[in-house]
Amino acid sequence: MADSTHHKTASKDSLSAGEKFAYGLGSIVNNLLGGAIGFMSIVLNVGLGINPALVGTLQAIPRFTDALTDPIMGYVSDKTRSRFGRRRPYIFVGAICVGVTFALMWQLPEGHSEMFYFWFFLAGSIVFYMFYTIFATPWVALGYELTSDYHERTRLMAVMNFMGQFAWISLPWFYAIMENDRLFSDSVEGARTLAIVIGIFVAVVGIMPAIFLRERFVAEEETDEDKVSLFEGIKNNVALFFQGLVTTLKQREFLKLCAGTFFLFNGIMLVGAFSSYITIFYVSGGDTDMGARYMGIFGTINTAATLLAIVVVTWLSTKLGKRRTFVVATFVTLLGSLLKWFCYDPLVPWKVLLPAPFIAVGMGALFTLMGSMIADVCDMDELETGERREGMFGSIYWWMVKLGMALAFGMSGYLLNATGFDVEMLGAQTSSTFFWMRVCDVVIPVVAAALSIWAVASFRITEERSFEIREQLEERRRNKAAGEPQVA
Amino acid sequence: MNTHKLFQIVTAALLIFVTISCQDVADEIVGKKPADARTINITMIGKSKANPVFLTARKGAEAAARDLSDKYSKIEVNIDWRTPKTESAEQQAERIQTAVEDGTDAILVSCSDDSILTAAINKAVDSGVPVMTFDSDAPGSKRFAFYGPDDVEVGEKITNKLAELIGENGQIAILGGNQNAPNLRQRVAGVRKAAEGYPDIEVVGEFYHEETAEAAAAEMLRVAEAHPNLKGWAMVGGWPFFDEALLKQLEPGKVRIVAVDALPMQLPYIETGIVDVFFGQPTFKWGEVSVQKIVEKIHLEEEVDEFNQMKLIQVWEDNLGGWSRQLRAWGYEDVPRKYLVL
Repeated sequence: MADSTHHKTASKDSLSAGEKFAYGLGSIVNNLLGGAIGFMSIVLNVGLGINPALVGTLQAIPRFTDALTDPIMGYVSDKTRSRFGRRRPYIFVGAICVGVTFALMWQLPEGHSEMFYFWFFLAGSIVFYMFYTIFATPWVALGYELTSDYHERTRLMAVMNFMGQFAWISLPWFYAIMENDRLFSDSVEGARTLAIVIGIFVAVVGIMPAIFLRERFVAEEETDEDKVSLFEGIKNNVALFFQGLVTTLKQREFLKLCAGTFFLFNGIMLVGAFSSYITIFYVSGGDTDMGARYMGIFGTINTAATLLAIVVVTWLSTKLGKRRTFVVATFVTLLGSLLKWFCYDPLVPWKVLLPAPFIAVGMGALFTLMGSMIADVCDMDELETGERREGMFGSIYWWMVKLGMALAFGMSGYLLNATGFDVEMLGAQTSSTFFWMRVCDVVIPVVAAALSIWAVASFRITEERSFEIREQLEERRRNKAAGEPQVA
Repeated sequence: MNTHKLFQIVTAALLIFVTISCQDVADEIVGKKPADARTINITMIGKSKANPVFLTARKGAEAAARDLSDKYSKIEVNIDWRTPKTESAEQQAERIQTAVEDGTDAILVSCSDDSILTAAINKAVDSGVPVMTFDSDAPGSKRFAFYGPDDVEVGEKITNKLAELIGENGQIAILGGNQNAPNLRQRVAGVRKAAEGYPDIEVVGEFYHEETAEAAAAEMLRVAEAHPNLKGWAMVGGWPFFDEALLKQLEPGKVRIVAVDALPMQLPYIETGIVDVFFGQPTFKWGEVSVQKIVEKIHLEEEVDEFNQMKLIQVWEDNLGGWSRQLRAWGYEDVPRKYLVL
């Protein structure tokens, strides 16, 4: 499509910088909550002596409860009728409750048994994740509906993704803060205090999207037919929930986006541990200080490149469209992953840094473009079903991301064992172990990126199609407002 | 001034404020040591400055001192290196005494001769200076802990590997180095103990010698001549391979060899197949782990196990590259480049 043929965002569809910023604040909270437990859980093992397997179980169980609570919350939010909207009340209440719960769940009393801590923390985790879902699912859904403009959605998601990166930058510091003997007597006390600080931050910042943003859609008015007994209402809603779930999972364009995300994100996550091990034990020859230094620089370059990639991808998508931009960005990541094979050189260790900016491009593009493309799917879905179901789409999409991430972390250990890696051998692993570690580290993300491109390459909602859908929807809404009959 | 401009100015001011605040927080967290920070001087005494294994042990100790000083704001750990130029238990004893007089906070020593050093260690401990040993212990002394291999287990590992290589039958010999060294005696005992589990393996004898490459090689060749059916060597040290003399005299694979140590100058013996397996010592860890243990005891006031086992690392053809790179990472400077790229 020539430059002149691209649609310009109309002023009525533009979001102010303040609105984008307010939505982005939710992203910082969302990422902070998503990552904090993982980064702080080391205290459970190091500070309280809980078996690492139990700590792993503590992190895995909520993933399964999420599978149920996320879509339910999406459905509930989509169907909510209130004068404050379908999303904002949950964001407001959810942020405060999740902040308080997070602060409380880390107030672990001293001098108890391992199983006491396990149950204490498990109970806290389940409540925490419940409130986290109440906050996050409507917040995600709100992002899909804030603007109906094809490009403005990408800009909103770019701001969201950009701001969200700052949570990821802060997370690796948590252990150093908790362990710092200037501030705390031990890491457990550090975790208690840090959790309170995070809890307050989450409660205060997390309510900002609810306060400063306005919703564009309201749920359908309740008709007389809807007024039934409580039992009948629950039964109907359960049936409608499953019906909605099936409809969502049948939405082919949505499934393409899920598959694209699943492959790319989890492909990179799965080998995250491999890259660290290869950097320390192969490239740095077992010199942990040197390896840690390179990993730190790699992380910094990666983050800077991700931030830059978000900006570039947002601009590029207005020229090429979202699908093509995603394909280009993912291809750059594929090339970056391939480059690793040539850059793991024990004689020239700094070369390990070269692939970092390339790998970051796809990750920068992923959550910028996918959010925007799901918003386009929500429009298409409305055209087909007559319903706005951002909550359902958002919850299933993010549950898939979370589940994939948990699987990736779980599998990476098994994969590492399968290469023959033995930590007691330090840098003296066999040549075949190093070979297979490198193969996994390169081939898995390359194949994953290729599959991701394949999945998204046939995504049908182009810029033109998106505007056609929007025109049809607006016409339908006008007709509805005028009281004319609807055609689904 | 319009709202947009005002928003930009406020945002910029906010960013500057946050940046400055972060700098203050960072200074508080990782900045300079407080005025009341305690300096912990650890005197480290290896057997000999001429032996590269002790130089890498020193690097490990210094790395741990740096890490611990970074980790704990209330201490600054220094390593005071007082290893004699050549091996001498008497000089080690003198240096222990001098270190105590100089006000050291802890002593870390690898004992050249425990019968001479036990008294010096005990005197230091009685003066209030905790002592830890590494590599070579003084088990009868008042040292609070030792870091090193379980020598009996090392001997057993040598036999088990050799048995696997020779098909669990045939004659083997033990090369034992200095007969008076307690750690070597224990390794020999371990070799014999494990050999009892292989009824078809016959140990033709234990052979001791001066701990030089020439003396060890001469003893090997003499035994080989005396026992023409010898199928394997169990060596509790790697002395014959400290120079290249045997590279041309031994036929690869004719007699299977399993030995302790895997220093850079010994690696060609793996490459050529003359030595099947070395059990390498992670000598960097001698210093690294020992300094960690000393800080655990005197700063954190934690209980430290008396025996802290160091695991030896099996080195053979398949991991020659990895082991070479690991040696370089530990500070060995003479690792041939050809092995680093494997």
